[in-house]
Amino acid sequence: MNFNEIKELLFAEAKKAGLTDYDVYFRMSSDAGAEALNKELSSCAFGTKGGVSFRCAIKGRIGSAASQCLEKDAVTSLVSRAMANAEIIDADEEPIFFEGSGKKAYRTVSVAAPALPDAAELRRAAMTLQEQLYAESELMTDGTSTAAGAALTHVALANSKGLCLSHRAGMRYTYAEAIVNDGNEPSFGSAFAATVSTDTDIAKKATAEALARLGAGAVKTGSYDVIFAAKQMRSLLSAFAGIFSGKNAMLGLSLLAGKEGQRVASELLTVIDDPFYAENPMQMPFDAEGVATKEKNLIENGVLKTLLYDLTYAKKAGKEPTGNAARGIADPVSISPYCLRIAPGKDSPAFLRQKLGNGIYINELKGLHAGADAVTGDFSIESAGFLIENGKLTKPVHSFTVAGNFFDLLKAIDGIADNVEMGLPAVSGTAAPDVLVRNLSVAGE
Amino acid sequence: MIEKQLLEELLGIAVSTGADFAEVFVQQERSNQIRLLSGKIESVRDFLLAGVGIRAFLGTKTYYASTSDTSRAGLLKCAAAVAGAVGDASVPAGGLVTGLINEPVQSEKIKYLPDDVPAARKAEILREASDAAANLDEKISQVQGTYMDVDRHFLVANTEGLCREDRKIRTRLAINVVASDGGENQSGFYGPGGGMGIEFFEKVSPKAAGERAAKQALTNLSAIYCPAGTMTVAIENGFGGVIFHEACGHSLEATSVGIGASQMAGKLGQQIANPKVTAIDDGTIPHGWGSFAIDDEGNPARRNVLIENGILKNYMIDRLGSRRMGMPMTGNSRRENYTYEPTSRMTNTFIDNGPDQNEDIIASIEYGLYAKAMGGGSVNPLTGEFNFSVKEGYLVRNGKICEPVRGASLIGTGAQILRDIDMVGQNLATGQGVCGSSSGSVPTDVGQPLIRVSKITVGGRS
Repeated sequence: MNFNEIKELLFAEAKKAGLTDYDVYFRMSSDAGAEALNKELSSCAFGTKGGVSFRCAIKGRIGSAASQCLEKDAVTSLVSRAMANAEIIDADEEPIFFEGSGKKAYRTVSVAAPALPDAAELRRAAMTLQEQLYAESELMTDGTSTAAGAALTHVALANSKGLCLSHRAGMRYTYAEAIVNDGNEPSFGSAFAATVSTDTDIAKKATAEALARLGAGAVKTGSYDVIFAAKQMRSLLSAFAGIFSGKNAMLGLSLLAGKEGQRVASELLTVIDDPFYAENPMQMPFDAEGVATKEKNLIENGVLKTLLYDLTYAKKAGKEPTGNAARGIADPVSISPYCLRIAPGKDSPAFLRQKLGNGIYINELKGLHAGADAVTGDFSIESAGFLIENGKLTKPVHSFTVAGNFFDLLKAIDGIADNVEMGLPAVSGTAAPDVLVRNLSVAGE
Repeated sequence: MIEKQLLEELLGIAVSTGADFAEVFVQQERSNQIRLLSGKIESVRDFLLAGVGIRAFLGTKTYYASTSDTSRAGLLKCAAAVAGAVGDASVPAGGLVTGLINEPVQSEKIKYLPDDVPAARKAEILREASDAAANLDEKISQVQGTYMDVDRHFLVANTEGLCREDRKIRTRLAINVVASDGGENQSGFYGPGGGMGIEFFEKVSPKAAGERAAKQALTNLSAIYCPAGTMTVAIENGFGGVIFHEACGHSLEATSVGIGASQMAGKLGQQIANPKVTAIDDGTIPHGWGSFAIDDEGNPARRNVLIENGILKNYMIDRLGSRRMGMPMTGNSRRENYTYEPTSRMTNTFIDNGPDQNEDIIASIEYGLYAKAMGGGSVNPLTGEFNFSVKEGYLVRNGKICEPVRGASLIGTGAQILRDIDMVGQNLATGQGVCGSSSGSVPTDVGQPLIRVSKITVGGRS
């Protein structure tokens, strides 16, 4: 069944059950990928996955149920399941089903969803990238892997208020992981491009990173000034994205609660939530409740301008919804950013290192899911990178941790470079430049 | 779940263009998650996951397609996608598949199936845990809880004639607590789970679980930042076993060993750990969180001794790994669901009891860290560099546990830490986790008795 058929079926079933407030959320995605390993093609994979969720309100309670099986019986049973699930919810206030932001409010995205490339093109990209990696260095060794892939998603939402929205987005990628071994110990480097092409510089980038990391040494425990490389500043921002949730703030789970309008970071810092970031093909014109999305500054020159809200928590907080309701097929509505990005600074990365003088350049952070706590802001993260001595990158270093508190880190930013890099395309992605932070704790030898 | 004849047809199509092996994995999974926030039931997640994954091998090349469209047409299209990809490899065609025999599998007996228990009864358990946490102290500012259960039903059939079905029930309670003191937040967590229905809470008290998480948050609120540097660390039992999981377990999976990207490759029979260390992966533990009757390739779960008295005895090997390594499969093939190709994964993995008395371990530390509760971590199997976070820790001075410390992580390399585990106690217990890898997130148990690591880098504040 397609979305319209599913919608008609569920709407009819809902009316039959006497429901007046409900919505249907649909997602169909397909992907294709090829991987190569140790100079050979290792795998090819294709996937198609659909799903629908039905949500309804009964006496102020929201119930929902979801299914990947789109056969008639499974779909119609969602209505009675959702109604049963609503019974145990503790009603808090009247649930909101949205009438729509008005046709003109929904922006047309700048990137059309491309069709999936054929399998042969993906295989060729993965294999060519292998050849490019092995041509880059004689030290390239087993475990060196490459991948090329693409994904397409169709999201649709319809509700009892007459709202009916549909959007398609797609992304492509090639990825290279170089493993080099100089006979002492292996090291690795990785790079990706948001395209399926044999004409990229990612083999060079991944190899250069792997080679530069060979012979990494230890760091002495102490307090250091640090530059987080763009890709790791992205990871850090992503790990702490939850602090911007208006829901978390209201529940005492974000220390940004009540700080709208106040200085929370260095005046160098501007953080933007951008559903239409030009570098991100996975753009979304509406959120999971149907609210039109928009670009907005969360932190502007160090001052917290807004948090992110869905309909429910905007109402509770007395704010306007920001179009940040998110929803997996199975999950209840939550609050999530789109492309969360740090605005570029004026300095070149080289100038930033000069400004730092002596310290550490961190270009690898590991285990952020465990070592970073968005509720407290504390982090203690396994890291690797390079010493910066007299403004220049010198020796590679590894096996140390960098620790601090994210809320303090925001205030301790003393430089932002102009080299913003976007992560892998995603509806909820990140982009950041190199960022200089003063005075972080480093534990090494 | 799918007629035998159609399974044979799908397998036949998958090998029709030259593959030397094919497999069909059919999954239907019902899951529920009831979430509680600030003392109120906030939402119910009620999900039917259903789909099929078809895989073909040509030597060590794999071809995979998955679909949630389980109609006959959808499945034929899925098998054809696999065949089409193999066919592009320009090899001679394979043959017809017949003679699948559906072998019975002894799935675990479950007292109460999740669907037979009213949601209101599950919500009561959640409330009991949440109330216990919230009422422990006025500094407890927020409690979030989740009651979750999963009914995972799957079938595997392959061109070797194997056709097996299994059904596994899992239930878990997760409690997150925040304690607040003015402008500062600290958190505590406890998440007990098992391979059974709601009867799990006949042996695990929801009240005690809530209190445990709350106590951890309160302890952290009164804690000072952990000092940074290299020190001796005692790691407590239960989820403390995450150290072996990250530091060594992943490096023993064929996923990395089979492609030569593991620090443990080529080391079978070698002394890789202190002789006090014996480590086991056991998917057969009755009602274990990481247990199952058959793995996701249809092989029975096994108890595998990985390290015995410090000597490397075995790896964890799936079918692809078996081909790559020329070694037998070990019943470790797992995947989150049908959208992933399976690969070698841990089940219930633990360091066995050792020769030391627990009190001697603490008494032996002049200055160091006692890590009472651990959080998650990660590893690069290539280099063995691992990290994990300490959720509740205390400084040890002159053999005595002293003040609490927070914000610590432990890092090191697997090869080194296995040698530096120099005392192994006797209170083996396990803790439940969810492990992420290339085949998705799967439930795994970690475990150990109290152990001592003679030196490890503690990431804290200098």
